[in-house]
Order: sequence, then structure tokens, then C-alpha cells
Amino acid sequence: MTAPGEPILHVEDLSKSFGGLHAVAKASLTVEAGSITALIGPNGAGKTTMFDLLSGFARPDAGAIRFKGKTITSQAPHRIAQAGMVRTFQLTRVFAGMSVLDNMLIAMPRHPGEHLPTLMTRPGAARRREALARGRARHLLDIFGLETKAGDFAGTLSGGQRKLLELARALMCEPALVLLDEPMAGINPTLGRTLLDHIDHLRRSEGGTFLFVEHDMDVVMTRADRVIVMARGTVIASGTPREIRADPKVIEAYLGDGAAS
Amino acid sequence: MPGSDDTAPRADLDGARLIASPALRLAALMLLIYTALIALFGPIPATQATLNGLVSGTYLGLGAIGLTLVFGILHLVNFAQGDLLMAGAYATILTAGIGVPPPLAALAGVVATALLALVTEKLVWRPLRRSGAGTLQVFLTAIGLAMVIRFSVQFVAGSQVRSLGADVVSTVGLGGLRLGLMQVLALVIGLVVMAGVGLMLRLTRLGKSMRAFSDNAALAEVSGIDTGRIVDLTWLVSGSLAGVAGILYAAAIGTINPNFGVTLLLSLFAAAVLGGIGNAYGALAGGLVIGLAQDWSTLFVNARWKPAVGFAILIVTLLFMPQGIFGQARRRS
Amino acid sequence: MNLDFWISVAVLAGIYGVFTLGLQLNAGLTGILNFGQAGFMAIGAYAYGLLVVNAQWNPWAAVAAAVLAAVAAALLVGLSSLRLRTDYFAIATIAFAEMVRYTLQNAQFSGGNQGVLGYDTAWRGFADAVSSRLSQADFGGHSQLPLLVLVWAVFVVLIIVLTLLERTPWGRILKALREDEDAVSALGKNALSYKLQSLAISAAIAAVAGVFVALNITYLYPSVFDPNFTFFGYAMLVIGGLGSFAGTALGGLLFWALLEGTRFVDLALSAGQQASLRFILVGVALIVLNRVRPQGLLGDRAGMVAGR
Repeated sequence: MTAPGEPILHVEDLSKSFGGLHAVAKASLTVEAGSITALIGPNGAGKTTMFDLLSGFARPDAGAIRFKGKTITSQAPHRIAQAGMVRTFQLTRVFAGMSVLDNMLIAMPRHPGEHLPTLMTRPGAARRREALARGRARHLLDIFGLETKAGDFAGTLSGGQRKLLELARALMCEPALVLLDEPMAGINPTLGRTLLDHIDHLRRSEGGTFLFVEHDMDVVMTRADRVIVMARGTVIASGTPREIRADPKVIEAYLGDGAAS
Repeated sequence: MPGSDDTAPRADLDGARLIASPALRLAALMLLIYTALIALFGPIPATQATLNGLVSGTYLGLGAIGLTLVFGILHLVNFAQGDLLMAGAYATILTAGIGVPPPLAALAGVVATALLALVTEKLVWRPLRRSGAGTLQVFLTAIGLAMVIRFSVQFVAGSQVRSLGADVVSTVGLGGLRLGLMQVLALVIGLVVMAGVGLMLRLTRLGKSMRAFSDNAALAEVSGIDTGRIVDLTWLVSGSLAGVAGILYAAAIGTINPNFGVTLLLSLFAAAVLGGIGNAYGALAGGLVIGLAQDWSTLFVNARWKPAVGFAILIVTLLFMPQGIFGQARRRS
Repeated sequence: MNLDFWISVAVLAGIYGVFTLGLQLNAGLTGILNFGQAGFMAIGAYAYGLLVVNAQWNPWAAVAAAVLAAVAAALLVGLSSLRLRTDYFAIATIAFAEMVRYTLQNAQFSGGNQGVLGYDTAWRGFADAVSSRLSQADFGGHSQLPLLVLVWAVFVVLIIVLTLLERTPWGRILKALREDEDAVSALGKNALSYKLQSLAISAAIAAVAGVFVALNITYLYPSVFDPNFTFFGYAMLVIGGLGSFAGTALGGLLFWALLEGTRFVDLALSAGQQASLRFILVGVALIVLNRVRPQGLLGDRAGMVAGR
């Protein structure tokens, strides 16, 4: 376990281009354990590509990613998730034709019932793990106000509820670091605040670390401990919200890009 | 259509870039193989196999155009394409059977196949698209449609092998080369139609729109192309070329049965995938390559392995370059 | 209309039913469009036939080897092609199945179009003994009855096993894969491994069906295993309902009852025309069912709608 304040994620000179377009170019950043860190930047700055690289959905052309002291560069998405870095998607990806509860259960890590050999040889262990998973799923659904929806198809949930479910599902994985791609987008402000309160609470009670992409500067400045700013594929600044607000490079990046587009 | 003028030259440019270097390299490669075959087996057998390959290449290429355009525009893998070829051949033979002169019968066959393709769009595909069907549903519907077409023909014409009734015996000889009269006819007509289709795609507004659409449907749609009309016309073009291809097959082989379309289907897929699916020129080139490869293979192994060469090329292309020979030059979103 | 005829129809329904269970596992549960099932079946059937005839293997050992051969083929096909897009994977698997069929048709070892003969002496002996016993017991000499019982017993056991598996956490992952592979990987599950498992189990089931086909037709020849076998399987799948293993049994029975039962409808048509008409009906059924009731007669509409 990485101690609070130490870097849990360390990215060095990460680069990725798509057919000549440098989506991420020599970006370096650090996320401290136990922090809520915001990743901001103008449109096209490379934030989503960065998330794809971190979570293994895209392979970097160059650079290194170290997570909890181990190099995880170019590993498959499921390996990275098993290592404790779990992402959500910008457009929610719940399993719409499955129940809300099943959506949660599927995220349970180290489940002997998910492997045919152990399922056959150790049915008791599989049953116990399943019972544990149900307990945890109910508890998390309760926290996120989805307990009455447990039996419904996830496809019947509203957009905001899907966001909550996706976060709750990510937490089922017992993550050390959660990557949230625009958790506030497309949900009503009240629900958004609830979601942020949950994140804040989880960080305090269970010591989780969160890295989130967000456009709402109010949210970033009031909720994040640290802010990382990307522009044109690279990290141009990082620090506390107060430091970032005063950084002329950041202001220029936003204004410059705003004027260009 | 204010926007279409913007896309047309762009599509043209793309076409030029697309055809330029990979096509030349491909032609050079084919020539190289041909030369090597002459060295290995002597000029007569090598040229004979090449001519045979070109004959089958023309009907495979023309048949594959429909497959590739329909996939590019509608993302529909049309399992019924092979049976459209077969329907075209049968329509021609049956029309000729009631005393219509062969050229007119062939024309009737082509028109009938085009109309059949359009009918499938109106009766089956458009309603299915509107219902928001998934990939499996589309596949199974195509398979069902293929069965309906094949067995309807079999119902009317019987399952027995039919000969063309045309002159399949006399051959044209040229310094040791032998080619059936009908094969020569098929080759000439096939190459002429291929060139015509190439020019049509390149020069006419319809061809440009179709290529633009097949290359990037979203872009074509915002640029103001009348999508409904293009879809209908695509089916007509695909169907009529399938009809031509089926007739050429019948002419080249001399006999047909209702299963020939489905047997050709994988070779058509091979041609379309090899040429880069959605790319009409690619399908023509892919058809020629498959045809040549299959007939060249007979120099090395027993001719009964010919179809397996097509399957092998299809599998290898899917695994190692699913974007096809001309795929690299394509814009990828 | 005699009983023997309907017994043979039920045997076909059972064999196709076993075969289709694999498709159900792949397409219905996992969302893998496996169109090469006939190829896996051919590998199973020929491995069994050749090992018994040429290598004098014990039939039981040959069945085990047939299953293993099909699983090995599935792993090969899956490892090379499962990373392709859904539609390309489907085409690649058809091409694989056709490669298998062409090889069997043209290679030396498989006997070409003459096929393989004489692998079923042990089974015939057993089946004849059973049916003569039955006729002594005044039950008529239905020679296909033992095969019917064997096929349907295996079919029912497989339905039960697969339905139970579907309800395990393992089956839950397959269902999630059908909906969104990336989301499954993002939750720490190895999507490729599960798809491979699904394909391998399906191929194993196809091999068992292949052995049944071999026992049913007395000699093996390649054209039995053409892509139409797979297409018929999908027709039964759609009739019985996507995602329902028990529905596969109903789909199989309905499909074959309709297909074979229409033989007795007295139409003023030649035998060939009647056969064509039956296949036209299959095609029309596929088109109409996919349009009107894609979840199948017994399928789960709610899950399908929510899954959109």
C-alpha cells in the first residue's frame, strides 16, 4: 500500500500519436496517494487519450507509467484494473441488459466463481465470495442511493444514475486509484454534488485516490487537492488550485486556445 | 446540393492518391510473378493460366463491387451477393430459353438482377435498418435472403446442372494457347465493363457520390448528398454488376447450377477484403488478384485446390491486413 | 406417416440441437458470431472416424480425441481471429470452416468424396442388440431408437449443464461481454480469455454433434459439413430464442417438424420443388423472425430492449 502523500502514479514522457497527430507528447505527471487530483485542459489537450494510455486501452509510443512502484506501461486493460487502477468512461458504459446488482457483482475482484477450474473444485469458496460480493454491492448501492434499483435493468436508469452506478461499480474493484472521465458531464448539479461528496467521503474513510477530468472550474477549484493542466498533448503545469489559478502559462493556454478555435 | 461540390473534388483527390502507388506496385508484383512463372513453367502454360485467371478475375471483381459498395454504404455484409450472380445467370438462360436472342436475354438478366437487388433493399433491408437491428440479425437476414433467392431459382429451374446452350466447344488457338470462344467473349466483355465501371465511378456525379459515401458516410451525409437516392442507386449498380458477373461466369464455365453463387461467395469476400472493404476500385483489383492467384496455383497443385487458394487469401488478409491492399491510404476516423 | 420416420426426424433435431447449443453459447450468450461451427464439427467427426478406422482406437478414446481436436482448432481460430471486428470474425470463421471442408474433400488422409466408412461397428452392434431386444418386447424394431435416446440424453444433460453455468459468476462475465467488451476489461476481467473459453466449449460441443452425425449417416463425407449446417443451426437458434439454452430444444423440434413435416403436405409439385419450397420457408422464417421477433419465440424481450 502506498502511504498518503507519496506518489501512487508516476507518468514520464508519455507520447502517443494517431497518424501524424500528436495526441499526447512527452507528458509527465504525478498523482499522490490519497489525493483528489483534477486533470484539466482545453478541448483536444489529450486528456482522454491520457486516460486511455493509463488504463491500457491505448498503447503509448514512448514513455513510462509507474503505478504503486511497478511499471505498467503497455499492459492489457484488465491487468491494470487488477493492479488497482480502475477507470470510468466519458459516455457511461453500464451493461444495460443486466440488472443493476449484476452490474455491481461483475466487478468483484478475485472471484473463484469466475474461473471454471475453481468453480468446479471449490464451489464453497465461490459461494462465499458471491455472498460477500452481494453484501458489498448492496452497501455501495445504498451509499449511492441506488438500492431500490438493484433488480432493475441498468438500461432503465437515467443518465445521472448510470454515472453513479459506474462509479459504484468501479469501487467494487477495490481500486487504489480511480480514473473518472468527466464524472459531472450530463448529470444534474444536485446529483453531481452528491457524487463529489461520495468521492470526498470515500477518500477520507477508505483512503482512495481519485484522478478526474473536469471542465467545471468551480468544481475543480473547490474539490481538488491538486490540479494537473494539459495543453497540446503535454502537461504544462501542476500544483494546488491556488497555484494553478495564478499560473500565467495556464491562463495563456486557455485564452490562446480559445482565441484559436 | 451546395455541399456536394466540396466533397466531389476531395473524393477525386482521394481516388487519385488511392489508386496511384499501391495499384502500380500491385501491377508490378503481378507482372513479376507472371515472369517468374514463365521462367518456371515455360511461356505457354504460364500465359494460359494467366488468361484463365483474368477470365475468372473479371467476374470475381465485378461481383465483389456490389459487396464492397453495399458494405461501405450500409455496413451490411451481403451474404446474398453470390446468389445474385446466380440469379442473373439463370434469368438470362431462362429468357434465352423462350427464344429471345442471347444479347437481349443477357440485358434482361442484368436488368432483372438489378431490380431484384432493389427489391431486397425495399422489402428487407430498409425496414430492418429502421428497426435498429444488430449485427447478428443483419447476418441472419442476409443468410435467409440468400436461401430464398437460391431455392426460388431452384424451384423454378430445378437443381440439375444446365449447360448454356451456346457454343462451348469451339476454341480460339493462338500459338499453343487455347481459350474457349465464350471465354474470350467473357474476358473481353468483362474487361470492357470493368473499365466502364472504373470510369463511371471516377467521372460521373453518381460515382463520386457513391465513393464518397462508401468512404465516409457521415461526411457524405453532412455534405448534402441525397442518401436515400444514393442507397437505391447503389443497389441497382451492385445488382446489375452482379448480373453481369453471373452471366460472365456462366459463359466462361459453360454450365451452371443453383449452387454456383454460394460457392463463389467466399472468393467474392476475398476480393472485397483484399481490395479494402468499401473501396470499389479495390474490389476490381482484388477480384483480378484472386482470379490470377487461383489459376496460377493450378501450375503448382491439383486444380481441385483452386477455391482453397481464395479462402487462404481471405483468411490471411483478414488476419494480417484487414484494411486491405489499398487500406493504408484510407482516411481512418 | 410412420413412427420410424418421426424417430429419424427427432434424431436430426437432437443432433442439430446439440450443435446449436454451441452457437447459443457463442452468439446468444457471449456475443461472438461464430459461423464456423460446421468446421469444428467436421474436425470432431473426422477425428473420431479416422482414429477408429485407421488407428483402431477404442471408440470412447476416439470421442475424447475428437473433442480435444476441435478444442485445439477453436483455440487456433480464436487466438488468431477473436481480435477482429465482429463481422470480420464471422467471415473469417466461415472461411475456416470452408478450408476444413475443402481439405477433407481433397486430401488423401480423409478419403476425399468417398469418405470414411466402418467406424461404427461397435455402435451398430450395440444398437442392433438393443432394438432386437425391443422388438422381442413387442415394441417394434425401431432401429434408430437407441441413437435417439443417446442423442437426446446428451442434449438434455448439456442443456442443464450450460443453463447452470450461465447462472454462475463465470456465465455473468460472458453475458457482460455480449454487451460491452471494453467495460468488462476495464473491470479487471480478461475478455479474450473468456471469449476463447466460450469458443472452445462450443467447439467441443460441435465435436460431440459431429460424432452423432457420423453415427447417424453410416459413412462420413465432406459435403455434410457445408456452411448450411451452421446456417440451419442459427435458424433453430432464432426460432428457439436467443440466449435460452432450453429454447434451443424447442427451436430444433419446431424447425425439423416444419421442415420434414411439410413433406406430407400434398402439393401438386415434384419432389425437388417441394424440397426447394421447404428451404424457401426456412429463409423466409429467418428474415421475418429477425425483423419481427429477434429475441426468438421464447427469448427475453425485456433484456433485449434494455440492452439497446
